[in-house]
Amino acid sequence: MRKVLLLGLMWFLCSAIAFAQDRVVTGTVISTEDNLGVPGATVIVKGTTNGTATDLDGKFSLSVPQSGGVLVASFVGFLSQEITIGNQSDFTIMLEPDAKLLSEVVVTGYGTQSKREVTGAVSQIKGELIENLPLQSFDRAMQGRAAGVQVSSANGLPGGAVNIRIRGVGSVNAGNEPLYIVDGVQLNSRNDADFTQSNPLAFLNPNDIESMEILKDAASASIYGAQAANGVVIITTKKGKSGKAQFTFNVYAGTTEPLKYLDVTDGTEVYQLRKEAYTNAGNGLPEANALNSMGELPSNWQSLTRDELDQIAADFDFYDWQREALITGQIRNYELSMSGGDDRTTYFLSGSYNQQEATVSPVNFQRGTFAVKLATQANSKLRFETNLNLSTFSQNTPFATDGAFLGNPAFSAATVLPQNPIYNEDGSFNESISGILNQNVIAVNSYNSGQQRTNQFVGNIAANYKILDNLTFRSLFGLDYRLVQGEDYTDPRTPDGRGVQGRGSIQSNWNVNFITTQTLSYNKTFNSVHNVSGIYGIEFRQETNQGISGSATGFPTFQFRTVQSAAIPEDITSFWTGFKRLGTFLQVNYDYNKKYLVTLTGRYDGSSRFGADNLYGFFPSIRAGWYLKEEDFLKSSSTISELKLRVSYGITGNDQIGNFDSRGLYQGVGTYNGSGGIRPVGLANPELSWEKNRTFNIGLDYGLFGNRVSGAIDVFNRESTDLLFPQPILWTNGFGSVTRNVGSLENRGVEFEISTVNVNTPSGFRWNTDFNITYIENELTSLYDGLTELPSDPAIRVGESLGSYFSYEYAGVNPATGRPMWYDIDGNLKYQVQAADRKILGNSLPSWYGGMNNTFSYKGLELTVFFQYEYGRLIPDGQVGFMRENASRLTLNALQQTYDARWTEPGQITYQPRVYSGGTEPRSSGMNTGGASLFNADYIRLKQVSLAYNLQPALLSKIGLTRARIYATGVNLWTYADGYPGYDPEFLGSATGIIPQTRNITLGLQVGF
Amino acid sequence: MKIFNKSLKNLLTLGIVGVTLFGSGCESALEIDPRQSIDAGIALETRGGITAAINSVYARLRSADNYGRALIVDADALADLGVATGNSGRQINQARNQFNTHINNWQNSYYAINEINLILEAIPNLVETPPVSEDEANSWNGQMKFLRALYYFDLVKVYAYMPGAVVDQLNKGGIPVVLEGVISTELALTRLPARETIDAVYSQIYADLNDAISLLSNSSNPYYASQGAAYGLLSRVALYRKDYATAVSAATQALASNSGVILSGNAYVAGWRSESNPESMFEVRFFNATEGVGGVNESLQSSTTSIIDLGNPQSQGGWGDFVPNALLLEQIGVSASGSGSDPRAYTVTRGADIRAELYAVGNGRGSGPKLEVTKYMGKSGVPYVDNAPVLRKSEVLLNRAEAQTYAGAALNLDAALADLNTFRAARGLDAFVSSDADEIREEILLQRKIELAFEGQRYFDLKRLGRDIIKPQGDVAFTDIRILAPLPQREIDGNPNLVQNEGY
Repeated sequence: MRKVLLLGLMWFLCSAIAFAQDRVVTGTVISTEDNLGVPGATVIVKGTTNGTATDLDGKFSLSVPQSGGVLVASFVGFLSQEITIGNQSDFTIMLEPDAKLLSEVVVTGYGTQSKREVTGAVSQIKGELIENLPLQSFDRAMQGRAAGVQVSSANGLPGGAVNIRIRGVGSVNAGNEPLYIVDGVQLNSRNDADFTQSNPLAFLNPNDIESMEILKDAASASIYGAQAANGVVIITTKKGKSGKAQFTFNVYAGTTEPLKYLDVTDGTEVYQLRKEAYTNAGNGLPEANALNSMGELPSNWQSLTRDELDQIAADFDFYDWQREALITGQIRNYELSMSGGDDRTTYFLSGSYNQQEATVSPVNFQRGTFAVKLATQANSKLRFETNLNLSTFSQNTPFATDGAFLGNPAFSAATVLPQNPIYNEDGSFNESISGILNQNVIAVNSYNSGQQRTNQFVGNIAANYKILDNLTFRSLFGLDYRLVQGEDYTDPRTPDGRGVQGRGSIQSNWNVNFITTQTLSYNKTFNSVHNVSGIYGIEFRQETNQGISGSATGFPTFQFRTVQSAAIPEDITSFWTGFKRLGTFLQVNYDYNKKYLVTLTGRYDGSSRFGADNLYGFFPSIRAGWYLKEEDFLKSSSTISELKLRVSYGITGNDQIGNFDSRGLYQGVGTYNGSGGIRPVGLANPELSWEKNRTFNIGLDYGLFGNRVSGAIDVFNRESTDLLFPQPILWTNGFGSVTRNVGSLENRGVEFEISTVNVNTPSGFRWNTDFNITYIENELTSLYDGLTELPSDPAIRVGESLGSYFSYEYAGVNPATGRPMWYDIDGNLKYQVQAADRKILGNSLPSWYGGMNNTFSYKGLELTVFFQYEYGRLIPDGQVGFMRENASRLTLNALQQTYDARWTEPGQITYQPRVYSGGTEPRSSGMNTGGASLFNADYIRLKQVSLAYNLQPALLSKIGLTRARIYATGVNLWTYADGYPGYDPEFLGSATGIIPQTRNITLGLQVGF
Repeated sequence: MKIFNKSLKNLLTLGIVGVTLFGSGCESALEIDPRQSIDAGIALETRGGITAAINSVYARLRSADNYGRALIVDADALADLGVATGNSGRQINQARNQFNTHINNWQNSYYAINEINLILEAIPNLVETPPVSEDEANSWNGQMKFLRALYYFDLVKVYAYMPGAVVDQLNKGGIPVVLEGVISTELALTRLPARETIDAVYSQIYADLNDAISLLSNSSNPYYASQGAAYGLLSRVALYRKDYATAVSAATQALASNSGVILSGNAYVAGWRSESNPESMFEVRFFNATEGVGGVNESLQSSTTSIIDLGNPQSQGGWGDFVPNALLLEQIGVSASGSGSDPRAYTVTRGADIRAELYAVGNGRGSGPKLEVTKYMGKSGVPYVDNAPVLRKSEVLLNRAEAQTYAGAALNLDAALADLNTFRAARGLDAFVSSDADEIREEILLQRKIELAFEGQRYFDLKRLGRDIIKPQGDVAFTDIRILAPLPQREIDGNPNLVQNEGY
């Protein structure tokens, strides 16, 4: 490829006028890499505009001053070389490849390109940027690093699910997940775990990643056809480098701690709320009823005065359940890798162990990985390579991954009535907890047990055969094999397990994903300036997923925890599903002298998920680039050091629907009296087809002041049509919906990336900043049958963004009565809302998001400070929704904030209504209706601070090391989320009872030898 | 670009064809069939397919929207039988008749009806070896007709007024009646049925029940439709329709059938403790834990009692969200006294009425010990799994007794009194003495209220009689819009022919 590059890159001479043609010198510019001449290299006399370009053999001749002067030879991809002219007249100038520039290679679909040649919208995240972050999966590490890529945590489980949206949400009902490719193997990111969330992407040790490329525009992604609509994330893992064996040992350890504790009321305040609620509802015995509902009414209450009853509540102790349930945990990570090889064979071996505990005991994550990468040049034409990643990870399961469950500490620790002691005086668990949340979550979570294990293999084997000098055939076979197993035990000593004498559940789920890709690639340069390359390929992928699961009850004692000892089998079931894809693709690249670049791509792709009439689809794209810096008017500019204009347009498809959604099926469901049943579960749609995404992209890559300032701007319009929509069917016709291709939506946005070198002093102090910001707007542009709103979900409206809230605008509390009010459609105040009063209140998709990374370095010392942010998002917080009821409906704890803010006397202006027993005032809507329970979730988070010290080479050689680095890292250190009342504004949806994210602090050491 | 597209597409198509030359074409390369489903076109082409599809129609009765909870617990909470404890917060809104809180059995019932229609259309086309016998076909057709009648009856009683008890200015008619099965997308997207008149819906139910009576055998198995059950259901439908002569004749046939028995004394209580209540003419079978609905939170047991084990009422079970109110307890003749949080410290006093034995003091979860109904105690051998009563023979006796008290052809006060006193004797009560039709009827209705409490009938009895709901949480007049359930809004939005009930 280097050779091609050299032959292909022809450099034009910038206009050079010689003022004093005193004498002529000649010479050759030679690459140290292959000892061949470098054609098109620039040779100038330093400090003048006097210069020339080398010919095809790397030769040049140039007029130079009679005496003095320095020749400067330069060529893209090489370090410039300076030679004093003296009285020499024939020069051999050796150019060394610039290692840094050489690595500026971007992985694109089925190949690589130099950064300069890229004409699509591709973001690159280098492995070193996310190195040693205490995060389990690389998708989480992508957060804030690339414009146009929005990453949010679905929960704080170590190894849990992560939500990634590249350039917005393009589909209402089909999937919005990008396609992940690790070493050529396409993966799904589906959670198959029953008892916790196991992110399949957590199989890979993030420190084994060389780089991640994100193909954002349709033109770049269209080579992946019917599965590329949501973008493509290509992961390239570290490979061996020839040379003597290099060992790297890395260790880090640290702690995790809760991000936040909610400020909650104490038992006396809950009593006050309950008492007020009964009083406001006209109850004659508010004190006794309040105590009774809190489970604190003494049996002699009828003989006590009201004051005496009040005194009982005044004497309540406060027990801090949150600080008992949300604790600090540990992180540990060990890695050893070895890399090396000779000129024919290279190898890379690595092994790692990672452990992290969540702040909710006993939830944790433990992973062991083992990777082998081998490549060998069998002969001058044939090269083999194999990349094997083996991984196993296990997770202790939580009571629940989310939800308002009594035993879920993430929900109940803040909401349990706080006058309940956690322990009895003898140190045993207090099992008699009053209030609706009547389980001792500390006890429940120490009694229950469960474990989820994922064993995963992702690997490939590939052969490359050089048919001709410029024609190569590559054959790749890849396999992604995943076995997810789990067991979960509800202890008979817990309230949920008591009735059934314990419940044991088991699960086994295996996913076999096979892929093979056969490609032919070609490149040739005509007349030195016409560069043509192309790739033609055929790809087949098949995935099958099956599983069995079961549960049983009736365990002899809590010591027996395997299903074998259970008395009553409760449930046993299995499933099987699968799909196939087959596609061919062709990509042709042409450029004129690396200045005008154009790429045409097409893929003809089929998916078994679609209707019999529409199995195959065609996905073409075109992209073009203009390297302006090479034009005469910019070539000599000292301000603009790089400028490239990119334009692209392409079509990609989305097939992320159920494997058999196009089929009319009867499923085995509906057993009765112990014998099997079947029922229709779907209507046939033989026309069912993929969603089409058409993205138009204009981008500009820029560099200023010798690339001290550089970056890119992209403007895009992503139009999704033929949306895979479950079109509602009248229930009277026996079905809920049929999946059809109807409707369209658009994502329009601007992405801006800038990298600056702020300070770079001769003494070695350097300060770099990388900043990115994305603005995106989403609009549903059409539905079907001329509808302006989806009948089954009126929040899906033409002209509005997805994720919109179509509900009732909250008007605060009536100062006279303390009752909550809403605006009707005409802006009048009312207590009880009606469907016609709904309007758009905002939406859950952020309008702005991005990140900023600052790196300070000075003589081996490095400080990294990374912020990440989102703006323009509204979310309901389920936990807060319960707690802002102020114990009016259910006897659970309230937020101090909503307690203090509640209406208590006429004239009071507040957003928090008076409490009313039962929760809802008569002839009123519920207090959490509509906008009353939506919160602004804008935030800025100090995602990472790392401080590292690299030992100086002089010292290293003395102690026989090649590298030594000591580092400390903090993750999620600080969050600014003005007024957000819940645990974490980053979460998606209502996030009720979700295991919170953690603040991680680690200290590490990395040595190479 | 277009020409490029076309030629590139052709080239790539060629590539696919090239790859699949060894196989048998592009389609077969992507061939993959589901293994847990079969194509709709062949599903009902076998005897096994028909019987399995019939099972699914029965299974839909178990849904929480139907007899799994709504038609039993929610329905009674809407009536005047009890109060919500707020233990889990469930049933509070139903017990207060909160606007827009109602039963919503529309979706599940119409799904079941579509399945029935498809089965009825498939049976005559079945080609099987050995051929389908007439008895077999009659049994299938009879069961489907019975179940279609039941599903339509349960729909019309929720969403529409009952014949003879209509608030004219609020009346929007009955419900859509569809008798053709939908399995094609085209029909599913184009059929827009309107509401039939109330009378037309009842006529359809009559027709189905009469077919069922003629097709079904006189079986005693309460888990499946039988001739006796069809007669029994017809007696209730006729009572709702104010067609008292039919109510009497159907009830007489039902009482003479092999289906169900009327129990008395301790046997009656024991009947409620056995897996299948011997009184049942038709009950929805919940066979095992997998068939259970609602579990620890929303099952019949959890909704109505906090007791998991009658012998140990202090041991925490379900939520006990909906419990009898003071008036009902007084009418049954049961009371409890005591204090503290241990239910065993309470003394329960019961009168002569044997039904008082079905009430016990539970731990009451957060809201303290109190009397709860114990009709659902995990009788299928697993906690929170109970068969749901649909039709008991005792009810049929009360149907006949009541029908005979109304003026008209069926009026026969002596017979009514005789039926009433047969019933009262079976519950341990003295004979009722009166010669006044209204008095006798009120006593029958009181016995009906007590007998069928927590079986989901009271709300509809008040509704068919045009009576207000009198309850401490606030009375609901018969003329209130809240008497009728709102039709699902999506159905209104998607069907211009469908009219919403007034006020929603």
